[in-house]
Amino acid sequence: MIRTLTISPDPIDEAALVAKRRMSQGMGAAVYFAGVVREMEGERALKGIDYEAFRAMAEHQFHLIFAAMKQRWPVESVRVVHRIGFVQVNEASLWVEVIAPHRGEAFAACQFLIEEMKAKVTIWKRGIEETAA
Amino acid sequence: MNVNVQFFSYFKQLTGTSATSEALPEGATVAELLTALAARFPKLRGGEKSTLVAVGVEYAAKDQVLREGDEVSVFPPVQGG
Repeated sequence: MIRTLTISPDPIDEAALVAKRRMSQGMGAAVYFAGVVREMEGERALKGIDYEAFRAMAEHQFHLIFAAMKQRWPVESVRVVHRIGFVQVNEASLWVEVIAPHRGEAFAACQFLIEEMKAKVTIWKRGIEETAA
Repeated sequence: MNVNVQFFSYFKQLTGTSATSEALPEGATVAELLTALAARFPKLRGGEKSTLVAVGVEYAAKDQVLREGDEVSVFPPVQGG
């Protein structure tokens, strides 16, 4: 299974990521997901979210999740991009792609990855309000 | 023994620091470290149930025994995505 992980302050270029997709001929499903910063967090209007990572542990935990995915589904490739630092409203903070032979496996593995990430990967967010300097 | 401790997320604001060290008796556990930290940093009190701890890059259970020089991280629930 090919595993590509990027944790970076750089904006996520979805078109460039899609253009770099590689699938072997046996693969029939490419599922990708973009997590985008919402304006409203409860009653608060945000201009963005500031993401902080404990990077070494975040990378390690992502790779543990990738290993668990490989055990459960015939995934050929997984790519994850997670931004750190300030991400403004309407921009993607997360991009995930899973390639597998069939859509059921690809959707399930993608959902698993995101749920596990939210429980285990050492990244935290802090909403920055519209009124903040 | 001494262990090195780093804080993440709003725990840095609660403690006023991103890193510290703590002297503990030999054989001390993660739970004992958290008790010692709560004594030094009272604003950490009350959140013990949801506090997460790692030694190196692995999550640590509250009964894990610490060793001299361990790099321990203490933080609130993660929120990636």
